[in-house]
Amino acid sequence: MKSFKKIIALMLACCVMFSMTACSGNGGNADGNNGKHVKIGVGLYQDSGAAVDAVKAYLKNLESTLNVEFAYTVLSTNDEALNITKVQELIAAGCEGIIITMDAGMDAILAECRDAGVYLAGYLCDFDTSYRNNYSGVFENEYFLGTVGDGPCGDHTTRGVDFFNSVIEYNERNPENPIRHVAGTVFPAFAFPYSKVNFDQFVAEVEKYNAENPDKAITVDPFNEETDVLMFKPVDSTYFSKHPDIDAIVAFNAGSFVYPSMVSAGVADTMKLFAAGYNDGDNAVFGSKGAYQQEMVCAVESITYPLVLLLNKINGASYSDQPETAERRDCSTMIINSDEDLAKFEHSIYLTFQPEDAFLTPEEVLNLTAYANPDATYAGLCEILDHMTIEDLK
Amino acid sequence: MPENVKTGETASQQTKEKVTFAGFLKSHATDLMAYAGLAVMLILFVVFNSGPRLMYNFGSVIQAAAVYAILSLGAVFIYSMGFMDVSLGQQVGVYVIMMILIGNKIGGIGGVIIGFLLVLALALVCGAINGAVSIFLGLPSIVTSLFLMFFFTGAQFLLMEGTGENTIALEVASALRPADRNAYSLMLIGIIVLLALIGTYFFKYTKLGKYTRAIGANKVAANQSGISLVKWQVLGYMALGFCTAVASFVMLTRTGTAGKGTGSGYAMDIMICLILGGMPLKGGMKSKISCALVGALTYTLLSNVLTTMGVPLQWVNFVKALIFLIIVLLTCRKSTGILPR
Repeated sequence: MKSFKKIIALMLACCVMFSMTACSGNGGNADGNNGKHVKIGVGLYQDSGAAVDAVKAYLKNLESTLNVEFAYTVLSTNDEALNITKVQELIAAGCEGIIITMDAGMDAILAECRDAGVYLAGYLCDFDTSYRNNYSGVFENEYFLGTVGDGPCGDHTTRGVDFFNSVIEYNERNPENPIRHVAGTVFPAFAFPYSKVNFDQFVAEVEKYNAENPDKAITVDPFNEETDVLMFKPVDSTYFSKHPDIDAIVAFNAGSFVYPSMVSAGVADTMKLFAAGYNDGDNAVFGSKGAYQQEMVCAVESITYPLVLLLNKINGASYSDQPETAERRDCSTMIINSDEDLAKFEHSIYLTFQPEDAFLTPEEVLNLTAYANPDATYAGLCEILDHMTIEDLK
Repeated sequence: MPENVKTGETASQQTKEKVTFAGFLKSHATDLMAYAGLAVMLILFVVFNSGPRLMYNFGSVIQAAAVYAILSLGAVFIYSMGFMDVSLGQQVGVYVIMMILIGNKIGGIGGVIIGFLLVLALALVCGAINGAVSIFLGLPSIVTSLFLMFFFTGAQFLLMEGTGENTIALEVASALRPADRNAYSLMLIGIIVLLALIGTYFFKYTKLGKYTRAIGANKVAANQSGISLVKWQVLGYMALGFCTAVASFVMLTRTGTAGKGTGSGYAMDIMICLILGGMPLKGGMKSKISCALVGALTYTLLSNVLTTMGVPLQWVNFVKALIFLIIVLLTCRKSTGILPR
């Protein structure tokens, strides 16, 4: 009898839990020119964090104006089977378009999209593996509409130059205590092929600068395969002994892979850190308050590009200048390298999660679609991606 | 007094029947709950997928469950002895990568078949090592599987690093599966059913199943009864090795690609599948092949249903954990601890 009670209690608990958490889609119909009601799946790279909360806040604000609802899932960087399953689940949940942030298992994923009549687009991902090895299978696939990268894509990369500019800007702001000696960190080439390219680009810029400014020369430690390639683990404690007397680290990866090791080694108060990416809480140790002197992120509003492409396709509209095959577009980067920049960044949707702090309003996004605005162009859609820098923040 | 005797016998029989029925419920409580869980998931699946995408989603569930089901079928042989293998995920990852590398190197379907045969041989050897080493060195089985896990993690990393890519693709991937989605689902169902029948035969009607269960029930008694622990433990692990190789092949037919994360998390997923399927973690005579199929389907349906119901992302893992916890608590043997029986 006790067992029966337990079973009934379990089932009731499940029912209550399911009913409490069940989807509450609005089921509304399209009015006017804001398109039919559409459900879009969004496969993110993690399930929490500032960027995730910000993108959800941004998309939530678009729902009523664009007559769209969103379903979320989390993908894996390199577990293709999981990605396929997650895409299948989004399709099963009724999504007619899916935005994904990973380039793994694309052939199988696009086969699923073909079978279900669902379109796919990319966000924060340059699909570099597919671009180099499977261009026709992915970029020429009718169900793949295009992607926007996490900054400049592939060979367009300017990260090394950006890092160099940030170091020089720091030196100009701190002439009494300039950075003269740096070392770098990168991710392994097989996973991030442009990470080392960016470092080399940085070195080339420094060499050019040194030739023109021998009195202000900056020394870059020779690249050390053993310590400078981070296998998705924090910097090893030997890093600091291999790179003695450095003033700063230029980390072509998230600062979270470096900063904790700097703290452990007791150098966080004296050494500076120029990093890619932004993590929650970094602003507390940024600029005059700590080691971080540069961070860079892409605006969450860049998701507008894949979203609008999907909505156009689902609503049967296209631009007059729509390219024949899918493209991967560069996105401007918000480079934060001063207290002033940070103050502006702290008022962006990335940190406030307030839709009114976004680069685009729902009406502006609707106006970018081909079905709501016959004059809208693909060039216009791409142009917004160029205006999401720290200078463009309102 | 025939009448009285007759009446007395009837009452006795009735009492006996009541006791038997109660005993049946008591002794099969875990199985009943496992089937009930699967039934609830199936009902929710149909309710939340009513419409044109029901069949599509059914195929998705079959695809997602296939690898879990095949691995779980093999894992039953070692879980029935009270053992576990935490290297499963990494083994799957390395095997899929190896099949792609060998397949691309040799070319054609023949290359993939050769790759599979090599992987099968490697999986059987690893199974034998896993089973034998723990006996010879007197180590808990999880320790030897930990060694294999680290070994395969390193191998997976080195193999991928050698390719210079984040993911690699099999050139003839499309030839490994029917182009039609439904035909592919039927192919997977066929593989699962075939392996389940073979597994049932070996687990229920041969010494392999009987002895592995006996070892799980009481290792000392089994040994003193003349059962060779080394032999049957090694064979149990080799059965798992066989299923791991087949599961890797099935995964390859599905993804056509592999990376350094392929297979990650599968070891824990399989444990969860088996528990959801009513498998006693301590092994023993109540271990059943059906636990693998019921658990794999329930686990896959749970994930699918939560998404189709629109459960917010941040709650999915929480809900899964809660359901898992409830099941473990409901099936625990109070006198001995928190694990199912």
